[in-house]
Amino acid sequence: MSDYARHEHHDFMAASAEAMADPGLQGALGKLASSLGQRNKDAWAALEGSDLLREKARKIKDATLAELDKHLETLEASVIRRGGHVHFADDAEAARTIIQQIVRDCGAKKIVKSKSMTSEEIHLNGALESIGCQVVETDLGEYIIQLADERPSHLVAPAIHKRLADVTEVLSRDAGRQLPADPTELCAYARGRLRGHFAEAEVGITGGNFAVAETGTVVLVTNEGNGRLTTALPRVHIALVGIEKVIPKFADLPVFLKVLARAATGQKLSIYTSLTNGPRQPGELDGPEEFHLVLLDNGRSKILGGPLRESLFCIRCGACLNACPIYRNVGGHAYGGVYAGPIGAVITPLYDGLPANHHLPAASSLCGACKAACPVKIAIPDMLVKLREQLHTAAEAKPNRLEGLAYGLWARSLRSPWLYRVSTWLATRFSRLRRGGRWIKRLPGPLHGWTGSRDFPAPAASRFRDWWAEEEKLHTSQSPNPGASWPPLGIQPNRGLLVASAVLLALWNLFLVGIILWK
Amino acid sequence: MREAFLKRVREAAASGRQYRVHTADVPARAGYIGAGDDPLARLANEVTLVGGHAQVVEDLPQARREVVALLSRFAPKSVLCWEHPLLDRLGLAELLQNAGAGAISHASLSPLPLTEQRQQMLAADLCISSVSYAVAETGTLAVASAPGRERCGSLIAPVHLAIVEASQVLPDLFDLFEKLEAEGLERLPSNVTLITGPSKSGDIELTLTTGVHGPGEWHVLVIRNT
Repeated sequence: MSDYARHEHHDFMAASAEAMADPGLQGALGKLASSLGQRNKDAWAALEGSDLLREKARKIKDATLAELDKHLETLEASVIRRGGHVHFADDAEAARTIIQQIVRDCGAKKIVKSKSMTSEEIHLNGALESIGCQVVETDLGEYIIQLADERPSHLVAPAIHKRLADVTEVLSRDAGRQLPADPTELCAYARGRLRGHFAEAEVGITGGNFAVAETGTVVLVTNEGNGRLTTALPRVHIALVGIEKVIPKFADLPVFLKVLARAATGQKLSIYTSLTNGPRQPGELDGPEEFHLVLLDNGRSKILGGPLRESLFCIRCGACLNACPIYRNVGGHAYGGVYAGPIGAVITPLYDGLPANHHLPAASSLCGACKAACPVKIAIPDMLVKLREQLHTAAEAKPNRLEGLAYGLWARSLRSPWLYRVSTWLATRFSRLRRGGRWIKRLPGPLHGWTGSRDFPAPAASRFRDWWAEEEKLHTSQSPNPGASWPPLGIQPNRGLLVASAVLLALWNLFLVGIILWK
Repeated sequence: MREAFLKRVREAAASGRQYRVHTADVPARAGYIGAGDDPLARLANEVTLVGGHAQVVEDLPQARREVVALLSRFAPKSVLCWEHPLLDRLGLAELLQNAGAGAISHASLSPLPLTEQRQQMLAADLCISSVSYAVAETGTLAVASAPGRERCGSLIAPVHLAIVEASQVLPDLFDLFEKLEAEGLERLPSNVTLITGPSKSGDIELTLTTGVHGPGEWHVLVIRNT
């Protein structure tokens, strides 16, 4: 299984350019908007009071995080009461060590896994293979990408980047014979193959969509049923769960189940929702004899104490990915982290450091489709803006003096009506000097980023206030507002400062015009 | 390690409180939908909508006729069965015997070694269970584990038939969780699974395929008067 360690960050812009030029990937992603994206919209529309339900889910998350330590202690007590074991893992390495130890203790050689992004986050498969275990992903999509030695590119559709031809090739290689390029046939092949693994595995590893503090219930949601088999057949069940997945009460569950399935796939409920409560009871013939809950921090407590704690509300439904115009064009791998899409652009920098992931907060047009699709209404655009701000104020950020000067001048001119008028007037003069249409196609030097993938609007040849004054002149007999056009306001307090600023502004405009004319 | 972990979370939760989000007040029943006048018909309709086969019958004799028809259609060699009062009243054991289908159940599996138990369960070609509850609004069956009510009993074969009676049907998902809570949270079964459809996957090019791990065919027989 390929790994993607911290030092291997790739450049978002380069990766997206590559993704955009990949016709196979574009074909695969092209189906997202009309399938999962549309189903999400339809599901909200069909549920009366969906907004209130989402608000309720949000409220529960907010209140839970405010007392998270208490809920974790309650959860621990509940799991122990049900005969399970609880482990606290500070970080990825601690979690890997704990799980390796459990696996060693029960002498397991084969492990089946139900889909878990948290296990991706801690790179669990490699760690288990390194102690001589065979690890088999059992979600069909995860199985395909495990065989292809890739990693998931979507929270709920991990192999969305693969076309039918790719999948056929990957599974045919596994089968040692050519399989027909038909989803039903391929599915049947995988079912048979994975049944063999289920029959032999001693340990089943899952994530958890929710963990209920008062009952010790770990909730698993799947559509295929692999989560059920993973928790029915192997002798030992290990659930790896991030601490933010805790919810206080059993009665809170239906609120989340109702919003999760609708957001993820547009279903009223996912096909299988398993509420697992510790090991099997005496007399039962299936279910694990041993249950371990591994609670993972791995940077979550750091986020919990900070201004972006709302990102911990996320229930990993993938709705923001399906809604995002950027994700739908570049796919999950371009983001470079375990978590992709809008929520990935927020949490990858939080888990993994902002400077190393500096492209991600900018990998959004801030259109707000993610927030509208989110079952817990996470304000993702606001958080991306906060991260952009942090990029400029963080100690490790390198200040760009030219940029600082430019924005400083701009801010100054916006604070004074008089300067603003001068600067807009100057802009129209320069615009008249410039040849070409309403769009500037290319800016040179450090400004090329503006025009690298889009055109920059050229300043208008006349100002709105001048146009308005002209209109008023035409339609009324009165003289226009004397302050509306050049020359500027009659009263000028602190004349020295304003004149100095005007000179600077004129220089700035000259600089801009120089760039515009420089071709 | 545990102490340090919880201390860190305690401090973070405290300092995070200054960033709590504003949320509006929400009425207690927000998101409750319910099932209308005829929950049984609603259940059957929803089951069909999610890709199952549902039928509402009036009484036990009619139900028997349906089960016999299904058994003759699938001609199962080995049927994994729940032990449940409703299945007894239906006389399922006799129906299976008449159809020449081998029944495996808690009683027949218990004396066997673990590997043998697993092999027999994995070889089943039909699962027949009842339910603990059903939710009409979503077309959901809730199956709670217990000795004789195996997790595999609604999961492991390519076809699952569930027999439901009127008293088991609840209108909304919220009602289900209220019921389970009323039975005592400390006595929750070790596994409660909510089933809403045949096993499905969209993992190959978002094309829907059924039966990838769980049953690809899902039959729900609802009996009005038992």
